Amino acid sequence: MEEKKFEPRILAFLCNWCSYAGADLAGVSRLQYPSNIRVIRVTCSGTVSPHHILHAFQKRADGVLVAGCHIGDCHYIKGNYMTLKRLKFVEGLLDFAGYDPKRLRLEWISAAEGIKFAGVVREFTETIRHLGPAPPFDAIPLLAGNM
Amino acid sequence: MNTKIRILLQGGRVDGFFAYKTTSGFPFPTLFTLENIQELETWRPTPARYPILKLLLAQARKNPHAAYGILVRGCEERGLRELFKYQQLEQDKVIILGQACTEGLAKYCECWKPYPDALDYGKPAPAMAKSRKVEELEEQHREARLDWWLSHFNRCIRCYGCRDVCPVCFCTECSLEHAELMLGEILPPDTSFHLVRAVHMGGRCIDCGLCEEVCPARIPLRSLYKKINRLIEEILGYNPGISKEKSPLSFLGEEMSLPSGPR
Repeated sequence: MEEKKFEPRILAFLCNWCSYAGADLAGVSRLQYPSNIRVIRVTCSGTVSPHHILHAFQKRADGVLVAGCHIGDCHYIKGNYMTLKRLKFVEGLLDFAGYDPKRLRLEWISAAEGIKFAGVVREFTETIRHLGPAPPFDAIPLLAGNM
Repeated sequence: MNTKIRILLQGGRVDGFFAYKTTSGFPFPTLFTLENIQELETWRPTPARYPILKLLLAQARKNPHAAYGILVRGCEERGLRELFKYQQLEQDKVIILGQACTEGLAKYCECWKPYPDALDYGKPAPAMAKSRKVEELEEQHREARLDWWLSHFNRCIRCYGCRDVCPVCFCTECSLEHAELMLGEILPPDTSFHLVRAVHMGGRCIDCGLCEEVCPARIPLRSLYKKINRLIEEILGYNPGISKEKSPLSFLGEEMSLPSGPR
């Protein structure tokens, strides 16, 4: 039997005011992008808790995309500053915990940037395809010498 | 120590003072008041560490109008500052006396400041700028690091000891108990348990190491939080317990002062 090709599963948190509208525009404009992305609409990228991101990896997401309004354009004025600070830090944490920080991506996509949205999804899917399936995030039996 | 505390108590400056009393040869944290003032002992260095801030916080919550004194180490002084910033304690209701940690303890903790700024007892031990344990982890390959952490998280029995002992974990609602995000019926808990706690320690952890000390599964939590502290310092230039301003990760810090309304 032929081996099944690896199809990345990417979870995307899109902010309601910019990035989700950007995705909408990509659809309306009939732009092609890979179907590996699963979208969750959030009110603001700043509401995406690191808990949600880590939970996604826990549930074997191969990549997580967080997209929001450009800096200065946030509907809630400063929400995306929070996202920026937080995600930079979560990237460092993922790296230290042994997870490839490239699996987490932050993008600013405005409502007018349907082309950018399609491009980001294409590019990110390729990156994840190249990285391969995410390593399991479940607790594993003891390694020798850890006790 | 007994003279200074005696003066504070008898002068009515504080209603109680948290210090240590030797019981069966071990120092135990004790609340001294006018009633047991004769039990005060002279200061001596000890490597024993206790969640003394947690005791103070509990006591202060019970008696919001009382003033308390406390004998602190370097880490505990940093913790106090964080509690002041998050308005868990009132600065004018807490009097501190500082004690330096012994050199052995400072080395064991790999502490970067093993003495409080307000130093009353002991000589400051040399600080350790780097953590060997964190560096050893950083030198490993990423895959090896993942295996290393997962095999440690594997032992977690979800006792919440690390959270309950933590002097800066003062929330009354904890996302680690959220029924949807942290499923209750599995052991070990999701590996995200410790990483989420690590995220919450960002901009808060004062590196007292009690979490690791209390962990029945001996998970090396301290290395994880030391790294978190370094990340916060590198990315946001913030040092918990040292920097004057509130943590940049606290929701709407300096942004709260923005004028409201459309612009």
